[in-house]
Amino acid sequence: MKRGLALFISIFFIISLLAGCSSGEQANQAEAKTKDGKTVVNFWSFWGSETRRPIIDKIVKDFNNSQDKIVVKHTFLPWGDIWTKNLASVAAGNPADVVINDINTVAQRAKNNQAEDLSKYVDDSFKNEFYPHLWQTVLYKDKPYGVPFNTDTRLLFYNKTAFKEAGLDPNKPPQTWAELEEYAKKLDKKNGNRYERIGFYPLWGSIGASSWMASADGGKGFIDNGKLNINTPQKVKALKWLQGWKERLGDKTVQSFQADFGSQQANPFIAGKVAMWADVGTFYTQIRDYGKNMDFGVAQIPAYNDQSKHWADGGGFVAEVPKGSKHPKEAMEFIKYLTGEKAQKYWALKNYDNVANKKGAEAAANELSRQAKDIYKMSVDNLKVTNLYPTPVEYPDYQNRINPYIDNVMLGKVSPEKALKQAEEDVKKMKK
Amino acid sequence: MKPSQSVHVLEDKYIEKTSTAADTPTIAKKGLSKKTRENIWGYLFISPWIIGFLGLTLGPLLFSLAASFTDYNITSTMNFIGLDNYKQMFTVDTLFWTSLWNTLYYVIFSVPLTTAGAILLAVLLNQKVYGMKIFRTIYYLPAVLSGVAVYFLWMQLLSPSAGLVNTFLGWFGIDGPAWLFDPKWTKPALLLMKMWSVGGGMLLYLASLQGVSQQMYEAAEIEGATAFQKFRYITLPMISPVIFFDLVTSTIGAFQIFQEAYVMTENGSGGPSNSLLFYNLHMWNNAFKNFNMGYASAMAWLLFIIVMALTVFNMKFGKKWVHYEGGDKK
Repeated sequence: MKRGLALFISIFFIISLLAGCSSGEQANQAEAKTKDGKTVVNFWSFWGSETRRPIIDKIVKDFNNSQDKIVVKHTFLPWGDIWTKNLASVAAGNPADVVINDINTVAQRAKNNQAEDLSKYVDDSFKNEFYPHLWQTVLYKDKPYGVPFNTDTRLLFYNKTAFKEAGLDPNKPPQTWAELEEYAKKLDKKNGNRYERIGFYPLWGSIGASSWMASADGGKGFIDNGKLNINTPQKVKALKWLQGWKERLGDKTVQSFQADFGSQQANPFIAGKVAMWADVGTFYTQIRDYGKNMDFGVAQIPAYNDQSKHWADGGGFVAEVPKGSKHPKEAMEFIKYLTGEKAQKYWALKNYDNVANKKGAEAAANELSRQAKDIYKMSVDNLKVTNLYPTPVEYPDYQNRINPYIDNVMLGKVSPEKALKQAEEDVKKMKK
Repeated sequence: MKPSQSVHVLEDKYIEKTSTAADTPTIAKKGLSKKTRENIWGYLFISPWIIGFLGLTLGPLLFSLAASFTDYNITSTMNFIGLDNYKQMFTVDTLFWTSLWNTLYYVIFSVPLTTAGAILLAVLLNQKVYGMKIFRTIYYLPAVLSGVAVYFLWMQLLSPSAGLVNTFLGWFGIDGPAWLFDPKWTKPALLLMKMWSVGGGMLLYLASLQGVSQQMYEAAEIEGATAFQKFRYITLPMISPVIFFDLVTSTIGAFQIFQEAYVMTENGSGGPSNSLLFYNLHMWNNAFKNFNMGYASAMAWLLFIIVMALTVFNMKFGKKWVHYEGGDKK
């Protein structure tokens, strides 16, 4: 009796193990079509927050109601996890049909066979619906492997009350690096040795050393058309300039201010601790929601000098069809809706986000009013001077190689000249 | 000696009895010896584990060994490239050396510190003082809290100007460092955090301390031994098997440090000047950010060899100082 039971349990375990492997497959095939014959398109995004989830769910619902052949099923996966999961499912040959992914690494995935070539579904008129600098980023060997969804750009937010207090004209924000420095010094407020307010610090906010270095170098990033462009005289100058800020304010001040923002309880610009702040356009909503009655202005990021442009850098996300999707055609139908004027305008208005579709962005700008409208328009106009720095397929790891050198320069451990020279050599060695 | 002998006798009798009664007829029936049948049953019972081990552990393990000699990138390529991954590690990838150095630094400091800390705490908590159970609970609590939440808590505690640690140091006129923002202090900061959660090890030591026979202490006291002598010549040897176990497992664990650094450096960027870029973090970045799964597999196997060598060394060297009450059983 007991032996019979043991045998039964062992066999049960073995069978359930084997069954576990196959039942998943069956479930997926069953899900491919609904009972009324509609094709199911599985859509993965990381937009699970209270604000974003209802917006994307509404877009999905509108699409499902707009036609009777496809049903989109939206699954939320946490930021970061979504891409490892996508990778694993592509490798297993069982991916979703549409995934939201990072715009700067589309070519990486195209090269590594992780995304479908979409060229047969798009024509020139479709392509022209998007900002050209974004479309450029989704190409690999001249073929698109994703469709731009949203993007961003950097602007300078400045505290007008602080400007008045420091005797500066609140309607004349700094235009060049020299002016930025001059204004910042005036805006610093000290109590003994302690800073109560810092005018500006170039590495705070949504901007980094690489942005300033590219801005000084005519908008060119570390890798320009496949050529290494790291150790250039202009980038060395920019790095020295950044070092100057740190030296003037002192390590201690910078570190302690920075650690305090780390807790993300109150944004230092909104709290009045920093008078000028570089951030993405969406930052406006934070001021709107948490900085009641704050008197502030918005300007372009100051240019290297009065002959150069107000370069800014951007990023964004694309909708992709993972390699091996069972319904690429239907997936593309949904992507076209997602990146079409109507959905893009809705997303832009609800999120105050820069969207990739030109008409969608303009329609959203027209519907906003007062300061919200002005700032949104400015962010849309700023896309003209916004550069994206997609990760080149030959140098997937280049940022991780360069960043420690820049850190060391900022810590005063090594000179900018030497650091950039070594960084370029390091990146060169890692070429794939 | 006597009682145990009698147990053996009893057992033997029992086994004799059962075997004669049950087995003779079945052998005749099925033609399988008792031993074979018991083996079959044994394998059947462990079969879920065996299948799991072969399919989910050994399979991927061997696959990663094979992948370490290829340019496997998960989705498109898998070409044999010989020892190129290993060559690249030693000659080209400067971050490999950074990560190895960071990890060694962490192992060298964290293992002795946490071991000594746990023993010290266990000895203190083994005293007979009123309310000791409350103290034991308090010291053990951090070991119960889950990782990520604790890391966030420590990021706040270690904040240079507003953090509790530097505020505390300030009371003594010490100008605390910038901890996680200063590459010189990031690893000490991590060690400090680890020291806070020695409660897990402490519990093991506490259990073994309670097992040390009071008779030995009494005998030593009669001979006039000091407290330190008692600790050195009785306590330490008696708990040495637990120290050994803790040493081996925490060395292996320390080499695998990942979570702390991943959470505390913004998704694995490695911290200021890559001072928290640990071996496993660099490996993870290669595998899942750069899709260099072949290279990452090679890194994993090198780490395996390093850890294996250290463990073998520990095992060999351990014989010199670990004292087993029942003699050295091989």
